[in-house]
This record gives sequence, structure tokens and C-alpha cells, in this order.
Amino acid sequence: MSPLTPQSSPLSSPFAHNNQSVRQLMFKVQLAVIPALLVHIYLFGFGIVIQWVLAFATLLVVEFTMLKLRNRPVRPFITDMSAMITATVLVFCIPAGAPWWIIVSGTAFALIFGKHIYGGLGYNPFNPAMLGYAFLLLSFPVQMTQWTAPTEILDYAVSFTNSLHLIFTGNLPQAALGANLDMISAATPLSQLQIGLTQGQGVTESLTPIALEAQTHYQNGSVINGFFYSTAQFFSLNSWAWVNVAFLIGGLWLLAVRAIRWQYPVGFLSSLSLISFIFYTIDPNTYPPVDFMLLSGGTMLAAFFIITDPVTSSTTPKGRFIFACGIGILVYVIRTWGIFPDGITFAVLLMNIAVPLIDQYTQPRVYGHK
Amino acid sequence: MSNTNSAESTPAPTRWQAYKHIMDNGLWKNNQALVALLGLCPLLAVTNNVVNGLSLGLATLAVLLISNGLISLIRNHVSSDIRIPVFVAIIATAVTMIDLLMNAYLHTLHGILGIFIPLIVTNCAILGRAEAYASKNTLDKALVDGFFMGLGFLFVLVLLGALREMIGNGTLFEHAHLLFGDIAQNWTIHFSDNYQGVLLAVLPPGAFIGLGLLIALKNVYDAKKTRNHNNALGIPIAITTPSTPNSNQTVSNSP
Amino acid sequence: MTKHTASHSKNTFKSHLLNHMFGSAYKLSLFIFVCIILLLTTYHFTAPKIAHEQREAMLKTFHQILPPPLYNNIPLEDTLIILDPTQLEQLGSEAPVTVYRARKDNQPAGLIFQVEARNGYSGHISLLMAVLPNGHISGVRVLTHRETPGLGDKIEAQKSDWILSFNGRTIQANNPNDPRWAVKKDGGEFDQFTGATITPRAVIAAVKKALLFVQQSGESLYE
Repeated sequence: MSPLTPQSSPLSSPFAHNNQSVRQLMFKVQLAVIPALLVHIYLFGFGIVIQWVLAFATLLVVEFTMLKLRNRPVRPFITDMSAMITATVLVFCIPAGAPWWIIVSGTAFALIFGKHIYGGLGYNPFNPAMLGYAFLLLSFPVQMTQWTAPTEILDYAVSFTNSLHLIFTGNLPQAALGANLDMISAATPLSQLQIGLTQGQGVTESLTPIALEAQTHYQNGSVINGFFYSTAQFFSLNSWAWVNVAFLIGGLWLLAVRAIRWQYPVGFLSSLSLISFIFYTIDPNTYPPVDFMLLSGGTMLAAFFIITDPVTSSTTPKGRFIFACGIGILVYVIRTWGIFPDGITFAVLLMNIAVPLIDQYTQPRVYGHK
Repeated sequence: MSNTNSAESTPAPTRWQAYKHIMDNGLWKNNQALVALLGLCPLLAVTNNVVNGLSLGLATLAVLLISNGLISLIRNHVSSDIRIPVFVAIIATAVTMIDLLMNAYLHTLHGILGIFIPLIVTNCAILGRAEAYASKNTLDKALVDGFFMGLGFLFVLVLLGALREMIGNGTLFEHAHLLFGDIAQNWTIHFSDNYQGVLLAVLPPGAFIGLGLLIALKNVYDAKKTRNHNNALGIPIAITTPSTPNSNQTVSNSP
Repeated sequence: MTKHTASHSKNTFKSHLLNHMFGSAYKLSLFIFVCIILLLTTYHFTAPKIAHEQREAMLKTFHQILPPPLYNNIPLEDTLIILDPTQLEQLGSEAPVTVYRARKDNQPAGLIFQVEARNGYSGHISLLMAVLPNGHISGVRVLTHRETPGLGDKIEAQKSDWILSFNGRTIQANNPNDPRWAVKKDGGEFDQFTGATITPRAVIAAVKKALLFVQQSGESLYE
């Protein structure tokens, strides 16, 4: 059935499907997400768990239907967990309180149009999760920008049942919060900065509300106790930055067990740091500092979980580094001068297009050749 | 298909058969949008609803009719070295005339379609038909070709427009009064009151995805149809109706 | 082949080529001439209709923001062109702005002019607004914009009623900081859009500035 017989399998991607190793790799990636998941639940409530369950259910239905339609065996392809990482990344990208059909349509689009239409895993030129996110961002801009405010700002934790209510009816129960969605949503630091800058404010001024939020962490002392409390004070991080730190921890573990290649995070983070350092040095009032760039939006999620997708990135070591650097620069460019607050999605998709070109020019020389 | 049997003995196809052949080509086999992939710029840009698609389709159809007709008329008077400039001049004239007429009589619609009416001039399908067909055939055939090629194009524009309008907006025939006048004021069909439109469908990427899906559907349909006529090696075997001795190239199925 | 015949055949070839070239050029110009005649004829017959339609379309927009019973002149023919750079700055425009003046029985009835909101989410937003002689806004409409579909495009009258919330508003005399002129989030009286605050802020600021301009200019705009 499969067009790839062992004899004819090509030397570059698409590779023949080795179910066992893919599953192990994907399992490690899932494990590495756990710290971020816990931090996310702690800071933003249980919405993400419900979203994750919805995404998983959609994934099962879509994968089963598409594999049947394409006359492919269902079991090996569905149990390789490769679709899981797509769904997981997507869940972290969308607001935790978004209506149920957001994650359902996003996951379905990512899997159908991002993967199966091209012929399944290994053939897709674009990162499916990012394609799904781009679809959601362009199609439902209102829902996609309604980020639930961190518990600290709200001074109210969205309970599990309230999250359920919010996701399935689009509103909170009357008793909870005057049932006004605007009251529990807040701008993310990146969009806060963008709004501030267009209003003619400087960086510090624009980010004051975020800095205030970070301070409430220590005043309440509720979020991080004991040892971590002083650390938090030292770094003075906001909720979004904490999620990024959690991703960083998971990602470092992935690097340690060699589940991902070092070129991706190193290339991406170093190019992003470098370019933001240059511009911050030129004009600190218009361009945000390096640490803000590294710890806001989806930076760390991208560095360790998105751009590391082996299928849609370059196949050569040098190529991987160039690919990651390109994303870092594009992320900065889109965040700073683009109309979207965060540029990860479009940066990744744009570099995905460039992958064949990068591969072409970075083929390693055969040993001994000049 | 039934009248092809009666024509079995005549070596040259009758006029009606020729017309039918042109029709098949224009509407399906050589559809300018789905097979030749010509004129995609206006196709993708204006099809965010049915009415826009229909209007641009009609304008293109009119231009194709005029240009095919005129070019067929003068085909014996133009030497081959100046034919392209002459064709271009004729097409540009036809497009500008349509543009002026639409501006005068469908002013609001003209405002919405904007640059895409004058841009019909860059639609390769029109120069393509002029060069490939009208300049080599009689007036009647050129007109029939122009009509069906235009109709095939219009059909894709309307289909894509309907698809994108339904998904992106949850409506059909919005703004129909701009094309059909005041009687069409309430032709708009709303599917659901609280439908959340998928904006992507009405944005440019939606056009590419939609067209890709339409082409894929056509290919799937064609493949299903021809599969029945192919042998195990994928070579077409004698197809249904007996044809003229010249074109009877049967490949035997024996090993 | 002798030299003589060679040059002879060269000559005939040359004259042949020339003949052919002139013939083609003649035919081509003939065709182009016919095309031009066709176009001129079409233009001749459609031009008055197009001019009429354009006028009608403009009047129709005027009617949306200034009710026709309020005036009985033709504002399109009673215009004032603003060239003063400081005044243009208040209207957000770099090019000269035409003010259309509506009158009822030669008494001032309203001013219609274009305003640019310069700090929209993506680029300029062009607005057409009408101001009554008493300093109240009669209506505002968006002419062109490039705001995000689904978020900022709610400023269009077709998509939402938001733009109607300007109707009948005025501004405290010479108070550029009138607190009512802001979105509710900033303590004002205008609704903001979910997910888009920059767009309504830009439109409100532009209309406020233009209204102050009308207030400061006073009667001079009708003269």
C-alpha cells in the first residue's frame, strides 16, 4: 500500500515510517511539556486541561477518518503519537478560555490541511500546528485575542466548572463574575507593548501594567512560596514569563536526553537575543529589552517544541542552524514592525518554505572532496 | 453520446459534433480555470462572494465573445508577425469598453470590483483563446468557443465565490441588488443567525485553498471515470463509442 | 552565382522586406485606429452617464451623514478648499481638503469633509464626517481602511453600528481633553471592540480633532 518500499526509500525526507522510534521521541516530548502544563494550570486555571481533552478527541476522530479515506492502516499511524505533539502545541497557543469549536476546528485544520492533504507525516512542508494556529488567528481574530488574565490580576481563580462553562457557552456562569468576558480577559505583554507603542508611549510606560502584575506575585506571596519566592522576586517575572521558564526547563531536559538537536534552540534563541540586543542598545525606549523578548509570547515553546519538528525543518546540521536563525530574526521583525503581536507562527511558516533552498546549499561535502 | 452513433460512418464530424466538442472542452476538459489554470489573478482576488464572482465572470465572458469574434473575422487579414499586437489591441479595446459600460450602468458594483475589471486584459485565457483558437477557426466556431470557455470560467468563479461566501460569511447572494437591480434586494440567504464566519475563507489564502480543493475534486472525479477505461497498466483501452477509423487506436489488453 | 545576381537578389529581398514591413505597419495602425474609434465612441456615450453616477454616489454618501431635509443647495457645487498646513494637520491630511457646504435658504446647514485617522492599527483610516452649524456631529462614515478583518473593521457601518455612536455628539468649548471623547476602557463614552482598542481610539481621536477644528474656525468656513 505504502509508496515507500524499503528499497526505494530516498536518502532525504520523506523518510520511511519507523513507528517505534517516532513514538519514543514523541513520548519524551509529551513528558517535557508537563512542567509548562502545571505552571499554566496554576496561573491561568483549568481551561487548558479541557482544551487538551477536546484537542485529543478531535485528533482521534480526524486521524481515524483521514487514514480510512486514504486507505492507510489506522493503528500504526495513530499510535505513533506524532499528531499528539501537533495538538499539544496548538493547545498551548490558544487562549485557555477560548470556545470549544476553536480548538476543534484548529486541530482538524492542522491535521487535514497541514498533514494528510500532503500525503501524511513526512511529506508535509509546513508545521501542522503552526498552520492550524495561523488558520485560527486569521479566521477568528476576536476569540484568539481573548487571553484569560492570570489569576493574580483577576484576584480570582477560574475554577474547573467555570472553565467548562466558559468554553462551552462562551460565558461565565452569572454567579461567577457578572458574566462579562471582558473582565477576565487581558492583553498579553506583547500586545500590551504594541498597543502602547502605537499610542506613542515608550517601552517602560507600555509595560507598566505587566510589571505591576509581576509585583503582585510577591505581595501575595501565594504563587511561589519559600525558596522560589525569593527567586521570583529576583527575576521579577510575570505570569507569561513563568510559562516560558517552564518550557525552558522541559526543553533543556529534551536536549539532555538528545530528543532534539541543539542547533534549533541555540540558533533561534541566539539570533533573537542578538537582534533584540542590537536594537535595544540603539533605542531602549522603542525596542524592548532582550529578556522581555526571550520570555514573552511563545518564544520558549517555539525554541524547543515547535521549530524542532524534524519533518518540516532542514535535514542538514548547518541547515538546521540557518533555519533556526532565520526564524529568530523573522520573529523579531514581525513582533516589532508587523501587525501581529507575536510572530512565531508566520516566522516558522515562512522558514518552512525556505527549507528546500537551505537544504540545497548546505549539503555536507563528501569527506575528502574540496 | 447517442448521436455519435449515427455519425459513425461519416469521417468528418458534423457541425453540431464540433460544437459539442468545443462545449466539452470549455466547460470541463480544458476548463480555463481548473485545467489550464489561466486567469487566476482575478479568479482568486474577487471570488469572496457569489455576486462578485458572477459579475467578473460575466465581464470576462463578454470580453471573450467580443475578442474571439473580432479576431476570427480578421484572421485572414493579419500576417503572423503583427497578429499579437493586433490581438492585444482588440482585447484591450474590448476590456476598456466593458469597463466603461459597467462604470456607467453598474456603478457601485464597478466600484467594488475596482481594478479587477481593467485587469481582465491580463487574463491569459483571453489571449490564449485568441491565439490558439479564434485565429484559426471560422466565426461561428470562434464564438461558440468564446462562449463556452467564458462559461466554464464563470462557472468556477461562481462556485468558488459560493463556497467562500458560505464558509466565510454564512450567506449566499449578498449584495445581489448591485448586479440585478432592486428586485434582488432580499435575495440574500442567511444560513444561521449566530454562525461564526471562518474569515480565512474570504481572505486571499481561502481562495487558494478553495481553488486547490476544486481542482482536486475534479481530478478525483476524472480519475474515477477513466479508471474504468484503463487496463492494469493505466493505458486507456477502447473507449465506449466507436470512432472514426483514424482515431481508432485501440491498445489490446492481452499480455 | 555571380556577383551581379547576388546583389540583385539582395536588392529584391530588401525591397520585399520593406514592402512587407510597411504593409504590416499600415495594417497595424489601421487596426489600432479602428480600436481607438471604437473606444472613443463608447467613451462618448458613457461619459455623461458615468459623471452622473459618480455624482449620485457622492450625494448618496452625503445623505447618509447629513439628512437631505436639512439643506436645499447642492453641496458639491459649494466648496471651500483648505490649504493652511496647521488646519490640514488638524484634519490629519497632507493634501488639500475640500469642504462641502450645505445650506438651507442660504443659511449654513452643515459642513461635509474628509478626515484622516493617521494612527490606525495598519495605516490610515479615511473618514467622511458632517458637522452641523451648532457644532454637533451629524454623522461619520469610514471611506477606506486597512484594519484587521474581524477585529478593527467594525468601524464600517455595514459591519456594526459603532460608527453611529458619533451622531449628535459635541465637544466642550475649546477643551481638547473632553473626557467623554475616549473609549470606555479609557474612561470615555464610546464602546471599544473586543480585541481591538487601537482602531476605535484612532477614529475617536481623529474625529475629535476635526471637530475642534470646526469649532475654532467657526463661521469662517461658510464664507
